[in-house]
Amino acid sequence: MAQFNLPANSIVKKGKEFPAPAGATNVKRFKVYRYDPDSGSNPRVDTYDVDLDTCGPMVLDALIKIKNEIDPTLTFRRSCREGICGSCSMNIDGGNTLACIKAISDVKGDVKVYPLPHMEVVKDLVPDLTNFYAQYASVKPWMQSDTPPPPDRERLQSKEDREQLEGLEECILCACCSTSCPSYWWNSDRYLGPAALLSAYRWIADSRDEATGERLDELEDPFKLYRCHTIMNCTNSCPKGLNPAKAITEIKKLIVKRKN
Amino acid sequence: MSLRTPLSAAKGLGSAREGAHHWWMQRLTSLALLPLTLWLAISIVMFPEMDYASAVAWMQTPVAAIAMSLLVISLFYHVQLGLQVIIEDYVGGALKIASLIALNFTCIVMVFVGLYSIIKVSF
Amino acid sequence: MANSYEITDHTYDVLVVGAGGAGLRATLGMAASGLSTACITKVFPTRSHTVAAQGGMSASLGNMGDDDWRWHMYDTVKGSDWLGDQDAIEYMCREAVPAIVELEHYGVPFSRTDDGKIYQRPFGGMTTHYGEGIAQRTCAAADRTGHAILHTLYQQSLKHNAEFFIEYFALDLLMAEDGTCCGVMAIDLATGKLHRFRGHEVLLATGGYGRTYFSCTSAHTCTGDGNAMALRAGLPLQDMEFVQFHPTGIYGSGCLITEGSRGEGGYLTNANGERFMERYAPNAKDLASRDVVSRSMTMEINEGRGVGAEGDHIHLHLEHLGADVIAERLPGIAESARIFADIDVNKDPIPVLPTVHYNMGGVPTNYHGEVVNLVDGNPDHVVPGLMAIGEAACVSVHGANRLGSNSLLDLIVFGRAAAKRAAELVKADTPHRSLPDHVTDKVLDRFDGIRFAEGDTSTAEIRLDLQKTMQSHAAVFRTGESLTTGMEKVNGLNASFSNVSVADKSMIWNTDLIETLELSNLLPQAVATVASALNREESRGAHARDDFKDRDDEKWMKHSLANVSATGEVRMEYRPVHMTTMSDEVEVFPPKARVY
Repeated sequence: MAQFNLPANSIVKKGKEFPAPAGATNVKRFKVYRYDPDSGSNPRVDTYDVDLDTCGPMVLDALIKIKNEIDPTLTFRRSCREGICGSCSMNIDGGNTLACIKAISDVKGDVKVYPLPHMEVVKDLVPDLTNFYAQYASVKPWMQSDTPPPPDRERLQSKEDREQLEGLEECILCACCSTSCPSYWWNSDRYLGPAALLSAYRWIADSRDEATGERLDELEDPFKLYRCHTIMNCTNSCPKGLNPAKAITEIKKLIVKRKN
Repeated sequence: MSLRTPLSAAKGLGSAREGAHHWWMQRLTSLALLPLTLWLAISIVMFPEMDYASAVAWMQTPVAAIAMSLLVISLFYHVQLGLQVIIEDYVGGALKIASLIALNFTCIVMVFVGLYSIIKVSF
Repeated sequence: MANSYEITDHTYDVLVVGAGGAGLRATLGMAASGLSTACITKVFPTRSHTVAAQGGMSASLGNMGDDDWRWHMYDTVKGSDWLGDQDAIEYMCREAVPAIVELEHYGVPFSRTDDGKIYQRPFGGMTTHYGEGIAQRTCAAADRTGHAILHTLYQQSLKHNAEFFIEYFALDLLMAEDGTCCGVMAIDLATGKLHRFRGHEVLLATGGYGRTYFSCTSAHTCTGDGNAMALRAGLPLQDMEFVQFHPTGIYGSGCLITEGSRGEGGYLTNANGERFMERYAPNAKDLASRDVVSRSMTMEINEGRGVGAEGDHIHLHLEHLGADVIAERLPGIAESARIFADIDVNKDPIPVLPTVHYNMGGVPTNYHGEVVNLVDGNPDHVVPGLMAIGEAACVSVHGANRLGSNSLLDLIVFGRAAAKRAAELVKADTPHRSLPDHVTDKVLDRFDGIRFAEGDTSTAEIRLDLQKTMQSHAAVFRTGESLTTGMEKVNGLNASFSNVSVADKSMIWNTDLIETLELSNLLPQAVATVASALNREESRGAHARDDFKDRDDEKWMKHSLANVSATGEVRMEYRPVHMTTMSDEVEVFPPKARVY
């Protein structure tokens, strides 16, 4: 449910300012959300002026540069730096994306960096994804089949059937989609969110899986599935170019189909 | 602090095994409302005079009375379905139940008020 | 002081450190065999760097032409430049087929052939009939095979209710006085609290240490924490001089462009537009093994035939493949090239450069995944309670140079093997021996020292110096002179760690502290790498010495073991290469000249 009153200590204050080194000519200003749970004080937005002449092209490069050279306490997740591990998902310039593949030059004006929206913040840019992962697990995202596979060779799958998984199996669980969805903001305790639903559909669409009926049974729920109001923020924000909204619609269509 | 496991929280009360009907009816009612609303707008524009007598005369034709009844039913059904979603989205706890009851009652009442009015004017 | 830490205790039958492909496969197998299993990982499992593996996983399924595991074995032995242990290589190549079939049964979304079987593509060094033809052996899920496998393994772990400790950073092994490994100490990032895990077997699946270099395809998290823990436990690391440079890292960012792009028909050109690999490897050309291609590229650049304004890189062409092939088989490459090189692969070549990619070296093990050490003249002495798999381990199946697509294979085959071995070794619910306090105290002392480090050099400064030193002194080509300078510098940097500062003193999600702990792990591995490289006076596989240009089987067909003390002194020892096979179904491949 939507919450209209803010919890204690949640008003974002103005933070520290770190000017660029003298002589820097190509300076970009980064406004980064900071929250230090140890101190118990309000979150703040720190301002870092970064010399782009000595910085890599991506927002993650700038964050790493800030951490390495200006403020080692700045905290964020990162790993692969090539857009496949899904660690550095955050809200940059008002949109959810991966910092490692978001070019600084794509941002006009100051670069505003916040954690993924409407998630509990553990520290700085690190959100708590526990519920997100549990929702993923709750759709039983694994192969379910009663027919034993051939003992010494692979199951067969036609190229056409394999093609049905394109745009589904590529999900990297970065949570950009779910945390961009207003329905998820208000009802993440009951709505599974686009990422988990995309994963559910990935198995429904897999010709090798034999649990389509049970999967549809589990999904048909006013909250788990039908909180999706086709707002399309998920599809717009997916850094991998996937279309969770379409996957959700496919689930809804299948549920109607089996009733008619 | 909750000591429930995250998976328990995510599974919640399990699946209600419904929602498809609601979703489907919302689409069907909007489909019905499209021509009906268009028809109503055109009909009103085509009144000879913009007065009560013209409206009554129009309503007394069988086509208008039947189509108007269908419009009232689909409209309030659609309103009920749509507002239910909004209440579920934004309202919680006891207030949610109260709002949903009030919504359902209001919509049913409005349907009957509408149908009664049509009948009253038509005959 | 040590007593001031509140420690939470956990006991399990087995502990797995790391949740990449190897760690997950092992965790899954151990949990399924009824052992209570905990998997400790510093990142959420699907963020492990296996996720970035692109091209595929080799197995002689023969779906796309004749194949035989013996041919695969020959290729791997030759690829290893005869430094691989042939019994382990035989095991891996034989087990490849059931391992990949099992993955398909788990649900990995492999690409398919017209008749619905797993699609297989050509890869560097993979041949048929012992070097005669080109094999299509590498099982692929488009160019995201690692992603497909890692996510599927995590899904299977969920299915089997495996227990994870996610975002826990392992600090050190708990070693009893008799040399038995009894558990591992870890810090929970979310709270900053310490956890002591006890297990009858501890399995290191912590990956490689690519981040000792400035330009690498490895993730920021590839810091070889398990290798460093083994060193601190008094164990050696094996064959650390062998660092694989992948021929095609994107120029600038270092992001990987899969060898599968050449498997699908891509080729390299120099500034003259010449397909120079035809000169260096007349048969295999662009599909020669990685060390050969990387050296050839470096020679082209050094001889002034590099492309670009600085003449410092090479072009990889995919334009001729056609948009359909690229969209179906190399979509991820097209995306990476667009993002990181601003290139449309349908129109322009990708600028690439040999980039640090894989560590053949690591914790020495046998093919069951048990850690071995040279003790009293026995080179195969098993270290009780400790296992290692994946890139962290040196089985050694890759020897001096790993073939592309043998890495995912290594993860899965030895993940399975380790799970099976643990099930044989550990009886479920056996009580744990008592562990004297000083074992824990030693770990805590070190941790405490780093946590409150108040020096005057930042973690990032030392790390950057280290990475640049390794990049220039332990590169594709090495000389005694450059390595000697490198050794001095790395030793100096290792010593300078006593002067590190940790600016963030907080408890919750203190990544400054974690990065400093990771740096403390990178440093001794860099020391071991340079020392081993300086020590090995021959050229073999990925280790190319300008001052010792030839392979010297007489003197150097042996594994080097680097023991690195707490103060950074290195002692070299050796283990023989296993020139035996497991079965009588294949003969040992004797060393011969390595030509592609």
